[in-house]
Amino acid sequence: MTDTDRPAGSLDPKLLEILVCPITKGPLEYDAARQELISRAAKLAYPIRDGIPIMLPEEARKLD
Amino acid sequence: MGDIDKATVTKAYARWAPVYDLVFGRVFEQGRKSSIAAAERIGGRILEVGVGTGISLPDYSRKNRLVGIDISEPMLRKAKERVAQFNLTNVEALSVMDVSHLGFPDNSFDVVVAQYVITAVPDPEAALAEFARVLKPGGEMILVNHISAESGPRRAFELGFAPIARRLGWRPEFEWARLQRWIDSRPDMRVIDRTPMPPLGHFSMIRFGKAARA
Repeated sequence: MTDTDRPAGSLDPKLLEILVCPITKGPLEYDAARQELISRAAKLAYPIRDGIPIMLPEEARKLD
Repeated sequence: MGDIDKATVTKAYARWAPVYDLVFGRVFEQGRKSSIAAAERIGGRILEVGVGTGISLPDYSRKNRLVGIDISEPMLRKAKERVAQFNLTNVEALSVMDVSHLGFPDNSFDVVVAQYVITAVPDPEAALAEFARVLKPGGEMILVNHISAESGPRRAFELGFAPIARRLGWRPEFEWARLQRWIDSRPDMRVIDRTPMPPLGHFSMIRFGKAARA
């Protein structure tokens, strides 16, 4: 997929190679449906709003 | 020393959003251009911390890959519009982050540029440690900051400037000695140079180098 046919607001796949969890510095999983970046180790789901990852624990959804 | 909490910083930037481009576009043009020139001498993947509305992004050569972070989501939305407007395909990511907790792996960037950032954050030393962590060995950290003078006419001016600086979210009393103490605590980091900047020489561009891997 190129930059032009990617729907507006979706995540650039390059981002997943660049970003880690800001707390654990561990890997993130991308949930395309919920537009979240999930850190299993920190049990946090960071929101992506309009293609901008919000990498703040206080903005993240807590996972069980 | 009254350190500034994150909420104050976020609020200060929200208040500044409407005039940010005017202030940072014109008044600080030289500082911005100088730090971009310094960053491009290294080149590669560049992290711009406190990227704001992305005013500097179109000024970088397209052969450099750019990542921009800021604590302000509204500013990053504007930056994203600018990236689209100028078709800046070399901008790899824009993300909201806290400078004390960067979401990047170690050794990710050739250059970390932080203009008017470390004097405005709650924990400058934590921010510097994070910049050093994400910097590749042999990489450079480029800071542009308002650093207070110890005495003389500049000191007098600064005391008058202090209330304005505080509204901007800058710690007016931030001294070079504090940066020197940090660098002294880091055997892997060294001062490359320290250059006074307009407006009026009240700002300095400071370049820190990270030791190449042995």
